[in-house]
Amino acid sequence: MRAYLDPGAAVVSVAVAMVVGVYVVAVIDGTAGRLAAGAGRSDLGAVLLDPLRTVALLLTQRRRRTERADAPGWALAPGLLGGLAATGLAVVPVGPGTAVADPSTGFVVFATAIAFVMIAVFLHGWSPNSLFPLIGAYRYGAQALSLQIPFLLAMLATALPAESLAVMDIVEAQADLWNVVRQPLGLPLYLMVGVGVSFWGPLNLPDGADLIGGTSAEDAGTDRLAWELARAAMLFSIAAMGAAAFLGGWWGPLLPGPVWMALKTLFLLVVMVSSRHLVARVRIEPFVVACWAVFIPLALVNIFVSGALLL
Amino acid sequence: MGLRPAVERVAARAPVPVFAVAGAGAQAQVDDLLLQPRLHLVDSPAAANVLLIAGSVPAHLAGELARLHDGVSRPRLSLWWSLGSSVAPPMPPAVEVLDADPSVLVEAVVDTHRRLLFGELTSSPPVLPDEEPAPWRGIGPYGQGGTGMTGGVPYGRPMAEVAPDRDGLRLDQLTVRIGPFFARFPTGLVLEVQLQGDVVQQAHVVVAPEGEAAVEVDVPTTFRDALNTPVPVSVLELERARSHLRSIASALVAHQLPSLARRVLRFASNVHPDQSEDVQRLHRLLRRSQVLGWATKGVGPIPSDQLEGTATGPVARASGVDQDERTTDPAYLGLGFEPIVHDGGDARARMAQRLAEAGQALQLAGRAGDRHHDPEASLESPRGRLAVGDLPAQRLLPLLPAVLEGMEWGDAVSTVVSLDLDTDEVLALRSPDRELPVP
Repeated sequence: MRAYLDPGAAVVSVAVAMVVGVYVVAVIDGTAGRLAAGAGRSDLGAVLLDPLRTVALLLTQRRRRTERADAPGWALAPGLLGGLAATGLAVVPVGPGTAVADPSTGFVVFATAIAFVMIAVFLHGWSPNSLFPLIGAYRYGAQALSLQIPFLLAMLATALPAESLAVMDIVEAQADLWNVVRQPLGLPLYLMVGVGVSFWGPLNLPDGADLIGGTSAEDAGTDRLAWELARAAMLFSIAAMGAAAFLGGWWGPLLPGPVWMALKTLFLLVVMVSSRHLVARVRIEPFVVACWAVFIPLALVNIFVSGALLL
Repeated sequence: MGLRPAVERVAARAPVPVFAVAGAGAQAQVDDLLLQPRLHLVDSPAAANVLLIAGSVPAHLAGELARLHDGVSRPRLSLWWSLGSSVAPPMPPAVEVLDADPSVLVEAVVDTHRRLLFGELTSSPPVLPDEEPAPWRGIGPYGQGGTGMTGGVPYGRPMAEVAPDRDGLRLDQLTVRIGPFFARFPTGLVLEVQLQGDVVQQAHVVVAPEGEAAVEVDVPTTFRDALNTPVPVSVLELERARSHLRSIASALVAHQLPSLARRVLRFASNVHPDQSEDVQRLHRLLRRSQVLGWATKGVGPIPSDQLEGTATGPVARASGVDQDERTTDPAYLGLGFEPIVHDGGDARARMAQRLAEAGQALQLAGRAGDRHHDPEASLESPRGRLAVGDLPAQRLLPLLPAVLEGMEWGDAVSTVVSLDLDTDEVLALRSPDRELPVP
């Protein structure tokens, strides 16, 4: 029998983790943005407080309706994305035997949550009944389809050494050797694609600058707030899973396991979040081609090599 | 203290979301607002609470401006930053700022937003009536669309119609107008685009209707002054460097790198003749971020034969056309001026061209001494040959439809941005002469 928290405690711990994670994403983003801009003096107060002020501002901004919008869909989309992020986060163990949920199919639960992101984004773009959101929605269809296969293949390879689909076992199997060493192709693929799955920075094509915000172009007030929070939560969830699946989770000297887990998640978050200030928006067509022609074969090579090494 | 006032007090300290419309004579000032940490320039009116109208906006855009205003989120107000223009915007603004100093503007915007939050100012009501632009009317017996499930013009909006796509399939094609306040385009540029998914099947440039009162290009700028009075070459060259750097900053914003754009804008506002090494550093930065890499490589190529003789400055020279009015300008004789030419003719070449010319301009400015440009000699502006009534934008825009055809929308935006169209010139475009297609 595998460990589960009771429902109340589970909801509270995932919610607390997500709030902290989203705030950390905002602070990293603010810091990286200021560094990239080369702004002379650093303003620590603004970096720490601006995210909270922006939340307050979006709370005061009235929501906005477009003509013949799909109101339930519009309200549901950020909820769905946030829920998927929470689902993904729930199966990530923070210490030996410590997880919100540790089903024997934890990996499958996470993979399913990632696959459903496409539906949340499409719903969000479809609902406002407006041009740019709709283009963004369709664009994400093409992007997500090509991204999720290498993403899942890269993750699947980590289940091979553990001979289990439970995330706890995947971390346990990295006691002497982390997967990032065992499968050097895995983590770069996972991170690159993770940025795409949470449509962030260079791979933010559905909400891109060329579509003046894409699927969120018509959002105002709490609609915008909910969507941004859900997106940051998804990024956090992907970083946490990356730390567990590739960087050995709680394994590490001296410090207690959960601290190692937090540090590794923070490291991956810094890498993923700062990509937004360092790399230009990719072009969708060459990117989709690269996914099918390069990343999927690479992810397959990764799996075959990992499998061969285990034989 | 209740929760609501507390939230409002915190919100009043947040960067104010502003949607900015840069009218004639205001593009550079509006671009520089990106450097203001207390403002948050947003791309979509829905994200904004303050509509900033800067400079003069021509009267024929009144309807579009009203629609834009009604799209801004409440509580909302419009604010006019006159910047020396005496022509008030076609939609009366709630607040006017006559001082050209950006810090005065920032103060006014922050103050306006705070008073809006605290209820000292009332949110402006919609300008347009909340009704359908046209009745629901199709050709079917129940008022539905045209052929099958699609077609017709319900509520005055054309629906998608199937048309062959580039892969030989028949897919929905939607005709939309993008502009005149699209955040990535210069104000006034309207593209009528037939989109299939996000592929541009056809694009037309829509110019202002004939017979409307024209916005004269009368806003004084360094280069427009040089048409009438002698201007020091060093001043012209510094202004050229500034203009090219601003253009690169806009491209960075379009490629989702606003932080790097801030870095470039700060560089542009402090340009100095002995900074050509910083231009080298910027070049490395742009290569690393792939803005001068796969993000623009092969995007929007314009073959040199289409640009031969158009005198469109960096755009022509990026395609290998060796044409620069400065070669015949007596003020540049003996300065060691040689036109820089790139080949490739794509968005990447155009950006690399502007960056190289910015570095060259800084060197020329350092060497120019007290030479003056003679108003009789022909003038090379940062966008090509400039003369009274002969604007570079007028020569560039006719090329656009052919270039954009078959392009993915993201690339189309990159291409338009890479042409560095001047807002004042686009707003002044009148007659659809030359080969500019009439819609």
